[in-house]
Amino acid sequence: MTTDTAARASGSILVVGGGISGLTTTLEAAEVGYEVFLVEKNPYLGGRVSQLNQYFPKLCPPTCGLEINFRRIKDNPGIKTFTLAEVVKVSGGPGDYDVEIKLNPRYVNENCTCCGECEKACQIEVDNDFNFGMDKTKGAFLPHEMAMPARYVISPKIIGTEDAKRCLEACKYDAVDLEMEPRTINLKVGAIVWATGWEPYDATKIDNLGFGQYDNIITNMMLERLAAPNGPTKGQIVRPSDNTAPESVAFVQCAGSRDENHLPYCSYICCMASLKHACYIREQYPDAKIYIFYIDLRAPGDRYEKFYKKVKEDENVFFIKGKVAEVSADASGDITVTAENAVTGEKVSQTVNMAVLATGMQPSAALNKLPADLKYTDDGFVINDYAAGGMFACGCAAQPADVVSSNQNATGMALKAIQTLVKR
Amino acid sequence: MGQQLLEPDVSFIKVLNERGGDTLKKCFQCATCSVACPISPDNKPFPRKEMIAASWGLKDRLVNNVDIWLCHQCGDCSVMCPRGARPGDVLGAVRNVAIEENSPIPALAKAVNDPKKLPVLLLIPAVLFLIMGWVVAPMIWAVIGPILGAIFRFDYTQTTFLNFSPELFHGQIAHSAFFNTWLVDMIFIPTAIFAVVCFALGVKKFATNMHNAAVAEGKVKETEFSWKGIAQALPKVAASILRHEKFNECSENKSRGTSHMMVLFGFIGLFIVTTCFMLILYGSALVAGYDHAWHGPYSQLNPIKWLANFAGIALLIGSLAMIKNRLGKSENHLKSSYPDWSLLGLVLGLAVTGLGAEVTRLAGAEFVTYLTYYVHLIFVWCLFAYVPFSKLAHLVYRTVALCYAEYAGRDAK
Repeated sequence: MTTDTAARASGSILVVGGGISGLTTTLEAAEVGYEVFLVEKNPYLGGRVSQLNQYFPKLCPPTCGLEINFRRIKDNPGIKTFTLAEVVKVSGGPGDYDVEIKLNPRYVNENCTCCGECEKACQIEVDNDFNFGMDKTKGAFLPHEMAMPARYVISPKIIGTEDAKRCLEACKYDAVDLEMEPRTINLKVGAIVWATGWEPYDATKIDNLGFGQYDNIITNMMLERLAAPNGPTKGQIVRPSDNTAPESVAFVQCAGSRDENHLPYCSYICCMASLKHACYIREQYPDAKIYIFYIDLRAPGDRYEKFYKKVKEDENVFFIKGKVAEVSADASGDITVTAENAVTGEKVSQTVNMAVLATGMQPSAALNKLPADLKYTDDGFVINDYAAGGMFACGCAAQPADVVSSNQNATGMALKAIQTLVKR
Repeated sequence: MGQQLLEPDVSFIKVLNERGGDTLKKCFQCATCSVACPISPDNKPFPRKEMIAASWGLKDRLVNNVDIWLCHQCGDCSVMCPRGARPGDVLGAVRNVAIEENSPIPALAKAVNDPKKLPVLLLIPAVLFLIMGWVVAPMIWAVIGPILGAIFRFDYTQTTFLNFSPELFHGQIAHSAFFNTWLVDMIFIPTAIFAVVCFALGVKKFATNMHNAAVAEGKVKETEFSWKGIAQALPKVAASILRHEKFNECSENKSRGTSHMMVLFGFIGLFIVTTCFMLILYGSALVAGYDHAWHGPYSQLNPIKWLANFAGIALLIGSLAMIKNRLGKSENHLKSSYPDWSLLGLVLGLAVTGLGAEVTRLAGAEFVTYLTYYVHLIFVWCLFAYVPFSKLAHLVYRTVALCYAEYAGRDAK
């Protein structure tokens, strides 16, 4: 196992981001023999995909795909992963980069067996970011059931409290280490692939769509967590205000996407995501009505189009061409969405139990610029400079994409990184 | 609906581009605008359908469309528009073409909207006044002078229409000594009749076409056309217009209501003033003879004069506020094109020369005040003669459309 960070500078690749794109680049490069360092800011690998309930269009859980990737990572001695890690600084050029990485403390070491005793001992609860704040976790927690690495995390919020001590005392394996400090390491690599992914667009910014104002307006990623068996409701899709089963749900497409006031581009996945969500709800509630308000429905490619056609056959799913521009709520918590049906030319006000905003993806780099000399589009996507070479962005750091395209792109960028090394 | 053959009018799209509708093609028909609009009805709301009709060059569907007149260009839709297509500004451009299309002299309407024709349009009254004063008015006077002289008991042969070296009138400057009141009336009464006839012809064409289009599109409850019905809606609509109710429903450019109100009330005030002074002049002339009639200039203590000054200042401040608003750089400011600027220029010009002529008269600056008065009359003539063709024609077309909407049941929210 190559853990010496100074070794083989010209032969190593740094992958920033451990989501589906970063995992793919890492594995594709490592499995042809290159040394790969994988840096992930969260305490777990898998990124956005690990938050999904099912993939479209096959409606299979992403866990199985992630599991295979995790297995491959564990089996490959050429891969070194760092979680809770961020790139601080990149210097040098193609073939010879010097990268400074900050490792944040997990307060739990590799002795952890996931027995859960620290969690039981801990009393303080913190917002569960993995579930978009829809529930709480203890201050000592496992990010999610199949977190990789399978190791607990102690929230920095409880460090210095009695609870931290309780966790320490509860652990029979000497896995809790409250003395951990942030530390910095330096890596020498020949190429860097930025797989920094995306954030769901902040729906509170879309002030005419009522998110944050009305409980029963949620985002598509929140619905994903509600539908997931490891989510805050153990997979029961209920509306937040009273935890009742929705009899009707409206989907607001292009919530913040294709909108100069927000994200001017098409986020690519939201149409397919809402079609998938319609399936989630229809499966749980055979009588529920689904109203999808759209500008244009985009189901690119044969497989996606077939999926769209299948959903369209459902008599309880209604498609209304017209963007929702106004929402209101009544005392019962029901939501009324208003749009002009551009086909009939009538203004439609549809009252539903719950509304889902199909919010788009914003590149993470739009919110926090990456610490390297990279070019960006106005929207914060990295523009790959193949002439300069050395550093490449893949997946949603480069453009809005679904999992399939991200993987294809990530594979391509593994090759670009390898070419950088071989050219020397 | 069956098959329809669409006949796009490409030149129409080009004209919209020139008149402030150049963002039109950015529209991707998401229909946000129809919901964003605070005054759009639930049945066939606007302006989404107007945007696609405009982008397809379907002029016929737009120029006779009642909905383009329901829009008050508040800009709420333009601010919400995800593409920056600015539907509010596009409808403004469409209204401009609608005025042109419905006017009985389209060539004149085109000229009014063409900046290159502005010098000619201004030159027309400047020259017309001279020809009237020197040539035509004396010829007419030969016929009507004796009659008027008999009615108003004065020596009509002593009348000089244009006097470039006038004497003081009872020791003060009187504009009528320079530009005779009879000449003013001989020019402006026919001009006003011209405007009324043009409006009558335009509105007749417009109203019937508007009704047929509205019925065909299923936008109205009333399928019978009735002038009486439209006229009966006038009091309610006029009250709503005077109160600027529609402006107040806007959120983005609510302040426009105030400046518009100042200009509208300014014009109404000046109309009342002019009518009063005309009645006073000819009424007193009938009683006491023209030479002893109550001629201007009137005392500053006269309440009608107060109204005149007040209305003039309202016009000045209102037009300046409108100009400031349109020069604004905020995201929600209205886009402005030549028809907007030419009208605002005219309104400001009227106010400045009107008040200017008064102030310079009181200051005793003879040459300046006569010159200013001459320019003022040029502006007044432009207002009268070009109103059925300019953006100001909205005064009539919008009122008719609003009355029609009220009568026919085109429910605004």
